[in-house]
Amino acid sequence: MERFFVLILVGFTSVGAFLVGVGAIGLSRECLRRAIGKMLNGVGWTLIFFMLNLTVGMAIVLVGRLLMRGFVPLYLASDVTLLFLSLLQGLTFQWWREWQTSSGGQGMGTGG
Amino acid sequence: MESRERSDDVKPRNLPVSKFSTVSHWECTCRVLGLVGVILFLAFAFTPLPNLLAQRLATPSRLERAEAIVVLGAGVSEDGVLGSNSLRRAIQGIVLQRKGLASLLVLTGPATNKGPTEAAVRAALARDLGVSQDAIITEERVWTTREEAIRIGALLRDRQVRRILLVTNSQHMERARRLFERVGLEVLPATADDISDSDSSPEGRLELMRIALQEIIARLYYRMAGYL
Repeated sequence: MERFFVLILVGFTSVGAFLVGVGAIGLSRECLRRAIGKMLNGVGWTLIFFMLNLTVGMAIVLVGRLLMRGFVPLYLASDVTLLFLSLLQGLTFQWWREWQTSSGGQGMGTGG
Repeated sequence: MESRERSDDVKPRNLPVSKFSTVSHWECTCRVLGLVGVILFLAFAFTPLPNLLAQRLATPSRLERAEAIVVLGAGVSEDGVLGSNSLRRAIQGIVLQRKGLASLLVLTGPATNKGPTEAAVRAALARDLGVSQDAIITEERVWTTREEAIRIGALLRDRQVRRILLVTNSQHMERARRLFERVGLEVLPATADDISDSDSSPEGRLELMRIALQEIIARLYYRMAGYL
């Protein structure tokens, strides 16, 4: 039971949010499906940036070892904060693309 | 207000939009990747998959008499605080030495920036816990497992030592054992784990997965580099 506590907790609050969304705020199920699609998009971009950061980081470490002739730990490139920072990169890039696409080129450079 | 006459780039709200008609191929790929990511996260955090993988990568201990105990490095902070992995390995090595399984205790580890070396901090701990200074050997000029095997192998060969108890965590043991065997030592594994491979908490399982993936990548790298 303890090992599933977090999952049950999030499931509970998700169902609650759904009921509030549909019942009290009047949100549509179709929009929820699109929101889930967007969320998955965001996760996908996060993973792309994470793999990119990992690969580039490891390459820099290995090249650094050769050039500096000293030791640079490979574990530098696998710090846990990398995942969160990749999330920020992924979401920003996703929204940047979507904003550009929805603008259709009009109002480029204007402040909104 | 009439809102029907609009520019072409605004879609009328009531037309049904097929799932993929406005979604580019690239977005589709991202969504599939995202779905895979979510499924993997749930699998790693909430199923026994990380435990099984960690157990598969692990080498069990074989605690028998040897001529030396070699404790592999795992990091020290700049102000001389041993990381939890390093401390746990050091304690295991000290316990085995105090139990009389070997007379020599080899402690490794460099410094972080300008701080004290990991080997020196561990040696001080060993002395505080009753290990005689004569029984302690330190090696500070090592930064990777391979370097540890090469330098300590040479050091122990000079002392006619052939059989060692090797202390490191169980996932790392297989790679470390092979490297030390390559330099001519007979290796008895003596594992010291910071996290149990039976840990069933989501956080524990994610940590196990991180350790397992790190070790898999390290083994691949060592194989490609010809070290194993």
